[in-house]
Amino acid sequence: MDFFEEYKGYPNYEKAAIHDEAHGKVVRKKLWMVFWIMLSITIVELIIGAKVTMGEINKEYVFIFLTVVKAFFIVWIFMHLGDEKRAMKYALIAPYALFIFYLAFMCITEGAYSLVVRDALIPMVLH
Amino acid sequence: MSNQAAISLRKDWDGGTSPFGVSYGKLFMWFFLVSDALTFSSLLCAYGFMRHKFAGDWAHPNDVFTHFPFMEGKNLPLAYVGFMTFDLIMSSVTMVLAVEAGHRLKKKAVAIWLFLTIIGGFIFVGSQCWEWYHFITGEESHQVFRDYWMNGKHIIDPHFQGANLVVNAYTQLPTFGDFFFCITGFHGFHVFSGVIINIVMLIMVLNGVMAKRGHYEMIEKAGLYWHFVDLVWVFVFTFFYLL
Repeated sequence: MDFFEEYKGYPNYEKAAIHDEAHGKVVRKKLWMVFWIMLSITIVELIIGAKVTMGEINKEYVFIFLTVVKAFFIVWIFMHLGDEKRAMKYALIAPYALFIFYLAFMCITEGAYSLVVRDALIPMVLH
Repeated sequence: MSNQAAISLRKDWDGGTSPFGVSYGKLFMWFFLVSDALTFSSLLCAYGFMRHKFAGDWAHPNDVFTHFPFMEGKNLPLAYVGFMTFDLIMSSVTMVLAVEAGHRLKKKAVAIWLFLTIIGGFIFVGSQCWEWYHFITGEESHQVFRDYWMNGKHIIDPHFQGANLVVNAYTQLPTFGDFFFCITGFHGFHVFSGVIINIVMLIMVLNGVMAKRGHYEMIEKAGLYWHFVDLVWVFVFTFFYLL
């Protein structure tokens, strides 16, 4: 029983986010605004994807930028990561970002390089 | 470092408290989601590798996903995928409203929003089944090859359409079909398990389990998973359908 005695004063984090009706109204307003922003971003993406023709490179960058904006809203507002402590934000985001930016960079670079190798070297090997 | 900061640091990391200010259940839900995000990112990075390797030969999603239910024969590129994205964002909002109602300890509101979330999840899973069906049978897609390579032989078949794991009619590359089945299938499985989790949560809420505990944090944890599924779809939607 001594083990549990030690943790008697442990804070009740489960109840930390409980709030009253007035604050709930503010939170709901923010959530609906985020919903409308995300919906308009998706519609813009679809219109660009289906109709607008611009330079291929520009289009890709626009899509990736809008996607990252949407991802930020989901993680920061819907998943409430923006309300967490700074230590937790870094502990979750930093290792992930470090690894994935590296992996994405390597995959894209190597993929583009193996396109060159495929077109240039394979005929030389075959003949 | 000022003395004040040193004291607060010692307070945070000396035990008897959570340094991150969250319960352990929520923290480990986040850790699980980060590891799951790494899995999905790896799949998408592998997809990016193949996409760049076969840059010229890859299928145009605009020509593959052109169909919409009850509007067969019309060319509506990406309209149905757009609807699916809307549906998932919508169910994400209902989920976050359920979490917010849980913070106000309103049992009835939590149950209603959770129920709407489950409906949205079922619509999404059903849509994906429909999408898979049309991808596999190959009806009504605009980009169709009538020939394919198998075991080093070039085979021409005027009735060839649709896709499986070995060949597909949208491009000469089997990898296109493989990645479609793998990525959207893995994501669809996550949506399905998310729906199951939400149903369990709904039953628990209706039975008054959360009310007895005095907090609705389980809804928050299930909500984290559900938002993560939405987050993954945002990336799949961009990298698989739009680019």
